[in-house]
Amino acid sequence: MEALAHLAAASLTGDETKKAYAALSSGFAYGLAAIGPGIGIGYLVGKSVEAMARQPEAAGMVRTTMFLGIAFTEALALIGFVVFILVGL
Amino acid sequence: MLTAVIHLQGAGWHASSSGTASTSPATGSDAPATSEATTGTEEHVPAGDLTKPGPIVPEMKELAWGAGSFIVLAVLMRWFLFPRLKRSMDARYQGIQADHAAAESARQAARTEVADYEAQVAAIRAEANQVVDAARNEVEAERQAKVAALQASLGEQRSAAAAEAEAARQAAQSQIAAAVGDVAGRAGELATGRRPADDVVSRVVSEVMAR
Amino acid sequence: MLAESFKFPLINSILRWKDLFSTFNKVAMIAVAASLIGIVVFLLAGSKDGSKAPKGVRNLAESTVEFIENGIVMQTMGKDGLGWTPFLLSLFVFIYLCNAPGIIPILQMPATARMAIPLFLALLVWVVYNGVGFKHQGVKYLTHTIWPPGVPTMLKPLVGLIEFVSNIIVRPFSLTVRLFANMLAGHILLVTFALLTQSLITAETKQFMLKPMAILPFFMLVFLTAFEVLVAFLQAYIFTILTAVYIGGAAHPEH
Repeated sequence: MEALAHLAAASLTGDETKKAYAALSSGFAYGLAAIGPGIGIGYLVGKSVEAMARQPEAAGMVRTTMFLGIAFTEALALIGFVVFILVGL
Repeated sequence: MLTAVIHLQGAGWHASSSGTASTSPATGSDAPATSEATTGTEEHVPAGDLTKPGPIVPEMKELAWGAGSFIVLAVLMRWFLFPRLKRSMDARYQGIQADHAAAESARQAARTEVADYEAQVAAIRAEANQVVDAARNEVEAERQAKVAALQASLGEQRSAAAAEAEAARQAAQSQIAAAVGDVAGRAGELATGRRPADDVVSRVVSEVMAR
Repeated sequence: MLAESFKFPLINSILRWKDLFSTFNKVAMIAVAASLIGIVVFLLAGSKDGSKAPKGVRNLAESTVEFIENGIVMQTMGKDGLGWTPFLLSLFVFIYLCNAPGIIPILQMPATARMAIPLFLALLVWVVYNGVGFKHQGVKYLTHTIWPPGVPTMLKPLVGLIEFVSNIIVRPFSLTVRLFANMLAGHILLVTFALLTQSLITAETKQFMLKPMAILPFFMLVFLTAFEVLVAFLQAYIFTILTAVYIGGAAHPEH
């Protein structure tokens, strides 16, 4: 709160404005990028657990495929994280 | 613990107004950039080593060292380390496999031996049963024969005895009949003065006795 | 309110290290150490008597080999892919040993949290799987990659563009970024909670409850360290299994 008030009160130069917006948007970038993969990974793992419970003898194959799926799904969140690093820090 | 270097001054964003930052502890004995200008009042990042290459720009020396060490590892693994390990692993597995096969064949042999033994036992048992049956039959036949012979001799004796008894009875009867005829003849002679014929007397006597 | 505000250090100050000498720094040292440790472990394992039940370092090496064979190669490439075991094994060992220093005290820096090593490994994998594709299928590899069999002619330009981008460009990029960003994120999280703990302990404040509260970020730090143990293994596993999938797909397009 104090930070925002401080930001509002100060007469920011162009450079500072840029930094402020960068900080703001980097936070949004990562937050938004985490939503989809969060849902996706939850759904994926839940379904995999269901499959393993139904067919325990296929658990090894399901687990391998699950990790592959997680890897692909997670990539989106990680790209968001990289954007966060690039823009914000 | 904190090797992640703490560099509390002159960096990034900070929310408070200036004037308090000069008391920062600045730990981090192995800080990479201790030569940085760290004046607390400075608002902006001190340019220099810390911002110049962005955090995701690869550094050539790290790339070269990483590549070199990985290639050394991969080549050694491909041509030397892995084949050696794998060879002895395979040898051990094959040994275990051979042992398994030997155990399996031994089990098979034992199983056939058991089957043989059981067949032999069954044959012997059948033979013994046969012998016992034969003996039993023989004994039975002997018994039958003996019983028959005994019964035959018994019947013979019985019929002989019966015939003897019959003869004795006949003899006794004829004696009695003669005696009775004699008496009856004498009585008739005395009564009529005439001696009745012998054949009439004997017929009457036998009729009476048969009654 | 803290008497002194908490300021996160510049990202480079937690990632870049003073050169040990002009062409050698800590990340390079970790990479070299990872390679050396891998070599030494497998050298020792190979020199032990292999006819008895394995134990100690040989057990470690053999279970790693079996993990690669049964958990990665057989699951993705089948029996034909067993020839790739040494390559995948060295990838796995190297990445794992580069990840692991992120949670080893004193070192506290995963070498893969820098761009260089993931980038090199991803490019190497890119070269390898494309090479395998060309070797197994010749020029047809290119058309197979761009147009998977069974695509209608009308869709070919669109599918071709999408498949080209996803197979040739995105794959190495996502391999790099996945490994790099996971390790970097873990490192930043550890730094953040370590710094929170430290700044709470050293805070100059009159509120007596503030200093004992340092236990909370410290617990989080311990928990995250345990989590990073898992992540270090998982990222090495995922990088290796994706490599296996790409190589298998290039060698046998029908899968």
